Amino acid sequence: MTDVQNYICGMGIISSLGHGIKQTKYALQTGRSGIGPLTLFSTAANPPLPVGEIPGSIDSGSLSRTHQLARLAAEQAMAKCEQSPDAVVMGITTGGILTTEMHLQKKAYSPELYRYHAVGSVAEEIARRYRCTGPVITVSTACSSGTVAIKIAIEMLRAGLFKRVLTGGADSLCRLTYHGFNSLQLIDPEGARPLDENRRGMSVAEGAAMLLLAADQPDNAVAEILGAGLSCDAHHSVTPHPQGKGALAAMQAAIKDAGISISAIDYINLHGTGTPDNDLSEAHAINRLFSVQKPLLSSVKGAFGHSLAASGAIEAVVSAICVSSHLVPANTGCRFPDPDLKLEPVRQPASVPVDCVLSNSFGFGGNNASVIIGAPDKADCSISSAKIKPLAILGCACTTGAGTTEATMANLSKGAACKGMLSVQAISKNLSPRTVRRLKRLPRMALSLALAAYENANREEKPSSVFLGTGWGAISETYDFLTGLFETDERFPSPTDFVASVHNAPSGQIALKFRSTGPNITTSGGDYSFEQALLSAHLLSRDIGESFFVMGVDESHPVVSHLFDKSVVADDIPSDGGGSFCLIGAHDLSELYLNLAFYENTENNPGVISSLIGQLGGPRKIKTSYGILMVGIPGGDRWEGEKQLRTFLSLSGFKDPLIDYRKLIGEFASASAVAAVIATKFIEDRKIPPRFCNNRSFRLNGKGALVLGLGKFITAMEVLRR
Amino acid sequence: MNPMEKLLNELKIKIVEILNLIDVHPDDIKEDDQLVGGDLEIDSIDVLELVIMIEKDYGIKIDNRDLGAKIFATLRTLAGYIYENAPELSS
Repeated sequence: MTDVQNYICGMGIISSLGHGIKQTKYALQTGRSGIGPLTLFSTAANPPLPVGEIPGSIDSGSLSRTHQLARLAAEQAMAKCEQSPDAVVMGITTGGILTTEMHLQKKAYSPELYRYHAVGSVAEEIARRYRCTGPVITVSTACSSGTVAIKIAIEMLRAGLFKRVLTGGADSLCRLTYHGFNSLQLIDPEGARPLDENRRGMSVAEGAAMLLLAADQPDNAVAEILGAGLSCDAHHSVTPHPQGKGALAAMQAAIKDAGISISAIDYINLHGTGTPDNDLSEAHAINRLFSVQKPLLSSVKGAFGHSLAASGAIEAVVSAICVSSHLVPANTGCRFPDPDLKLEPVRQPASVPVDCVLSNSFGFGGNNASVIIGAPDKADCSISSAKIKPLAILGCACTTGAGTTEATMANLSKGAACKGMLSVQAISKNLSPRTVRRLKRLPRMALSLALAAYENANREEKPSSVFLGTGWGAISETYDFLTGLFETDERFPSPTDFVASVHNAPSGQIALKFRSTGPNITTSGGDYSFEQALLSAHLLSRDIGESFFVMGVDESHPVVSHLFDKSVVADDIPSDGGGSFCLIGAHDLSELYLNLAFYENTENNPGVISSLIGQLGGPRKIKTSYGILMVGIPGGDRWEGEKQLRTFLSLSGFKDPLIDYRKLIGEFASASAVAAVIATKFIEDRKIPPRFCNNRSFRLNGKGALVLGLGKFITAMEVLRR
Repeated sequence: MNPMEKLLNELKIKIVEILNLIDVHPDDIKEDDQLVGGDLEIDSIDVLELVIMIEKDYGIKIDNRDLGAKIFATLRTLAGYIYENAPELSS
């Protein structure tokens, strides 16, 4: 084992306060605010509400505005680095929605117009630009996304998987969030005044920040990420826990992760959105954590506004500026500190030595993340690296057009396909009417799958954490919110739809149901979203003693699925569903294991299939380890995927049964989660149904299953018997 | 039935329908019970949906958090506020 540190060796930022570190630092030193009336798009409200909009024009070309912001921040972060990053991890919530909503309003239904809609496409574009051949992960956990992304990035370095990871977050202003937060009455018409006794809400903003992290000490280290901690309130889908229980847990986890004492923290960069409930909840948590003496503290959201997924990354950059420039930013916007908060925010920018900063980011779904940033090599906080390990399978379940796991397996055994969509009632028949009264298709499927996997595990202990992959998120809620917005001339969009439109709403519902207060991570990377969730679970499993859910789920939508997902077009039958696992790190509790063995980008990576075979141990090991190959070729990449499969079969010499599973279960982004559950059932039964083996019985004799993902990325998941 | 009773009954039906309380009969909603956070499990998001309904159906805008807490205390306080402020009901 070796010790690993996480050096920040490059940073980039663009926000309402300007473009680049220099402009941002100057704005912070002078206490300037970037908040002003919205000009990016027209609204019925006159005057428009104040926002944190990036000044000047941003030429987004054919890309979406969020993509362009991410690119501008990444250019700065990568300016002094000639090598490609080994992985990209980003926090994104809105992706290309600004462009999408414009086309939906005009009822323009050409798929080409929506090619940058996916939140995952932002990080993929950055990976392509910097020739990153490793994994790309997109975290979509609402306002904590940027900080959660940083946590995953440092765990990649600590696991010894990579040497350089490019991480950060980006979000552009859009109608969805501008009107959505307004529908929740969470926007302060005067502009955000965090911690002020007259505060009435936040100012929605936009921006991007990127950080290049390196495990080896570079010459130009700006600061270090000492540690980060995650938690979930499991309290309410929007309102934070009134006593800040989850916020406290995240801060405590970050301090423990960094291996520092509480007294080492010189400054707290608050989440401090300016909403009455958030600021009060965070204040309670801070007053409990720092019962003796509180560090200097301030929220910068009265200056930047709240840039959602970007905010955690922006504030990580601000924290690094604090450390490198001995600067404590002011709590801009606060004139009369709220006495109920019992906090004394820094009112004017201060020039004082800062060695260690705690930065908070909290989001919808009670999703909390805290990160600790320090001066390079000042704190003794190196963490022993620990390789990622296979995860023990306690239970699993799937939903397909055929029905539950049992119905799916029965259909497969008799040679029938499992394509199609269940009715909403059928999806949620194991859930009470009260539980599902506000839930549409995706959260119902997710909750139902979690419950089925938990019951299949047959253990009393409830899973403490959730890792959920979804290619497209809650499409119904997003579509319904925007339709309601357009049809009522912006007067009556549904607050319920807005709250449920975030990608992490389903995983938040699971946390509520199971009281899961551990990390709650939603990943979104198209056809590889489930694999991203599994990789995140591998990386964080050493922080989690108990069992946890790892799942993938996607819904089909009659209007937009075929516009967003080019694979959906390849099949006449609309299909959806998902797969869910109840897993644990401890290895003596199960005979079966799930392991993500490989995840690489195919772009700029001609030797990727050879790398895969090498990573799996070579042809002989492949033949002796796996008795069944489940292959996922997304319909939109079929030609390329079939070519990749031929290369794999030729180089590996694999001759045992092979299932091209999308031909059976249909085209939807998280089909691989279903495939992993089917593979687990085969290994459990120790045999493959005859229809997949020329109608002969095929016994596995202790061999496992390999679930290959092909197309834009190559992924390999193993289901193995101990 | 007096106008207030009519309004109370109308609101009960609307609450069940808008909040999708399919396991609740309108008559189960008691006029003087705590409306938010009580047995019906109505929360802040539901209140915002009701705020939209009140603006759409009765022409009354409620955008003040402190006032909202008083208005939504019980069904009777809500009906009373609508009755006093709705242009077509008070005329």
